[in-house]
Amino acid sequence: MTRFTRARLVAVGSGALLFSSLLAGCGADAPATGAGAGTGTKVQGGTIIYGHEQEPPCLYGGWLQQAYIDRNILDSLVTEADDGSIKPWLATDWKVSDDGLTYTFTLKPGVKFTDGTALDAQAVADNFAYWEKGGNSTAQVSIDPYFASAKALDTTHLQVTLNKPYLPLLTMLTQGYFGIQSPTALKRSDKENCEQPIGSGAFKVKEWKHGQELILVKNPDYTSWPATAKHQGPAIVDEVDWKFLLDPVARYASLTTGESNVIYDVPTVNWKDAQAKFEVQQYITPGKPVSIYMNTIKGVFTDKLVRQAFAYGADRKSAVEAGFHGVIPYENNPSVSQSTPGYNPEVAKAYPYDTAKANQLLDQAGWTTRDSAGYRTKDGKQLEVRFAFPAGSVMTGEGSTVLQILQQQWKQVGFNVELIPETQAETFSGKYSSPDSYDAQPWYWTSPSAAILWIVWRPSTKDSPNYNNSSFYDNDELGTVIQQGNSAATTEEANKFYGQAQQIIQDNAAAVGLYTQTSSIAVAKNLHDVWLEKSQGEPVFSDAYFTK
Amino acid sequence: MSAASVSPAATRARLAAIRVQLRPATAASLLVVAFLAVAVIAPSVLTSGSPTTIDLQHTLLSPSFSHVFGTDDAGRDLYTRAVYGARESLGIGLGATGLAMAIAILLGFAAGLARGIVDAVLTRILEVAFAFPVLLLALLLIAIRGPSVATEIVAVGIGSAPGYARMVRGQVLHVRQAGYIESAVALGHGRWVVIRQHLFPNAIRPLVAVMTLGVGQSIVWASGLAFLGLGVAPPSPEWGALLDAGRDSITTSPWLEIMPGLVIVLVALAVTSLGRTLQHRLEGAAR
Repeated sequence: MTRFTRARLVAVGSGALLFSSLLAGCGADAPATGAGAGTGTKVQGGTIIYGHEQEPPCLYGGWLQQAYIDRNILDSLVTEADDGSIKPWLATDWKVSDDGLTYTFTLKPGVKFTDGTALDAQAVADNFAYWEKGGNSTAQVSIDPYFASAKALDTTHLQVTLNKPYLPLLTMLTQGYFGIQSPTALKRSDKENCEQPIGSGAFKVKEWKHGQELILVKNPDYTSWPATAKHQGPAIVDEVDWKFLLDPVARYASLTTGESNVIYDVPTVNWKDAQAKFEVQQYITPGKPVSIYMNTIKGVFTDKLVRQAFAYGADRKSAVEAGFHGVIPYENNPSVSQSTPGYNPEVAKAYPYDTAKANQLLDQAGWTTRDSAGYRTKDGKQLEVRFAFPAGSVMTGEGSTVLQILQQQWKQVGFNVELIPETQAETFSGKYSSPDSYDAQPWYWTSPSAAILWIVWRPSTKDSPNYNNSSFYDNDELGTVIQQGNSAATTEEANKFYGQAQQIIQDNAAAVGLYTQTSSIAVAKNLHDVWLEKSQGEPVFSDAYFTK
Repeated sequence: MSAASVSPAATRARLAAIRVQLRPATAASLLVVAFLAVAVIAPSVLTSGSPTTIDLQHTLLSPSFSHVFGTDDAGRDLYTRAVYGARESLGIGLGATGLAMAIAILLGFAAGLARGIVDAVLTRILEVAFAFPVLLLALLLIAIRGPSVATEIVAVGIGSAPGYARMVRGQVLHVRQAGYIESAVALGHGRWVVIRQHLFPNAIRPLVAVMTLGVGQSIVWASGLAFLGLGVAPPSPEWGALLDAGRDSITTSPWLEIMPGLVIVLVALAVTSLGRTLQHRLEGAAR
């Protein structure tokens, strides 16, 4: 899942470990065989009842919850295979100039959007222009400031020009935010585009019953499946009823009672049960894990020693294991999660639980006295941390338990951590987004590339403030190193710079690691080939089929 | 007064009152309320633990002799948390009911005394407000102000005030017709003296019992809000928050829901039972 950002809701997702061994499929007309494939008779048609979690305000946008939906109704230029390589989708081929500044895509001919508009090079160029001007906030920050222009050379050839080399471009384009929409449809009102985006995908929107469900119906004329598809042709099922079941108990119960065929985000308390009864897939999302931003420009965390003491002062690993019942991995690297290409494992070794070290750092920082409640004080001021967290969206009940455990451990070294659960309305309104409103705040931001470092940590300037940096941590050296990674000639070279950037962030304790953003699905045993795509774990239903 | 001067009717009323006092349900309710009072005033008398102490070696233990309510997913003793949660839960219940009564008395007396256009306007307003469920109003307020103890008190208080206000207005209209009010006016007492010394106490008396009933109801509403994640901030052991925290584990660790749920039901029943008893006694006294 992606994060919300400040005043706007921004999201970035990315690819990660796809448990493909569970998902090997078969052709549309082939007998059902192979791991994850059905053993009964394959059925054409049917309706998949999918119990999802959160409902977005619009069906298209920059939040991961929107990308999940868009993956099923929009096609993209390219897609990512399990091994991280880029594979054809709407673009059957592409060439990159030697200087890395020009990408020329060859498009599959004859593709049409579901409104009849031709999906040609001009349509894709129009979509690039749409993203660049903010039509999708995550798409915009994912190519900014590298993108210069896109133009159609003819109906099937598109040229994308960059201001400077940007090695992760193709990887970033695999996210659902870069789904291509009909330029004819984009000329409609915002409300219409919000309610019913028009693409060329395997499904199209039939009806959105707000607060209840989204009904997707098969696009019978589908011709543009990606190279990673598990079958060739239109979707096998007729319909997907995408139900919004926020309550985890109700969601899991819907699967166990047969009211749904597949659910998203299996509650960790039910994980073992789900493993026994259903086909389960867990996806550790790349990008920024759930880590704690610390306000470096106001309050107690302006002092690096205090930030480091905060990192040492709690047994985060044990807290994560307890809160998530051992299902979700601990992640001590605050800037890039373990499933991200370019992850620096050395960074994850910093700040082990060490109360002696935490106490020594706080003493060194001048927080030497304690009040009657046991909290440290300095010049009569208590070592207080206002810890705001988006309850129910970024932080589930399980995450809240983790925070409560940490709160008690931080108390032992003298921090008075006040947990402030944000309602969704408060999160959307940006109540806790200014430097005056909090000292610490956990967030994640999924991305298939370590280029997420640039989105989150690029230095803020007057002309181009970076609202995504919730630590308000400005470091020119960090910005330079990340840019060197983005513009590197090879992946190895890029990863070297990305690794350095992760080290700088960790050394300065600009954030504290917590756990990986992890999503999961559980699928009924008579439903097969539902899979999570690589870039950010978007559920794919176009290959799914029932057996009887 | 001699025994011979006591009328048979008065004797029957007193005996009835004694029988009411001795009812097992009343005795049990008093016991629960006494336990609750100790939990509010001196929780350390009832448990030696701390409601926030975590123990990651003993998480999600089912009820046993060492943990009579079991432990939660942070290893916290649930009985200790329930005991310490009494202060906040009861505080919300009393605060919300007190606020509701204050609003109700203000509006009810204004409508009942002024009558005419003022009465008509206030009554219509109350009827409109009455049409909104308490939880809906509470959700609106929490969405605006954010969740906290104060917001819960205000939200539940305002939400339940219209019902009480209608009762107060009815009582005022009833009492102002009484003979002793007419006598007081005939004796030349001033308007405010009549209201303060005769109307107010007699109109309010029946509401004391209703208020007691309201405390239990407010606790349940506040718990409902907390259960929806709109209550007090963690790690508060407020009872509704305990319910909310245990919700995800209802199928695997049901005691996390059952125990705080039982506490809420028990306290609400006890307070309601006492309220009924009080109501009966006051009605008896009035007769």
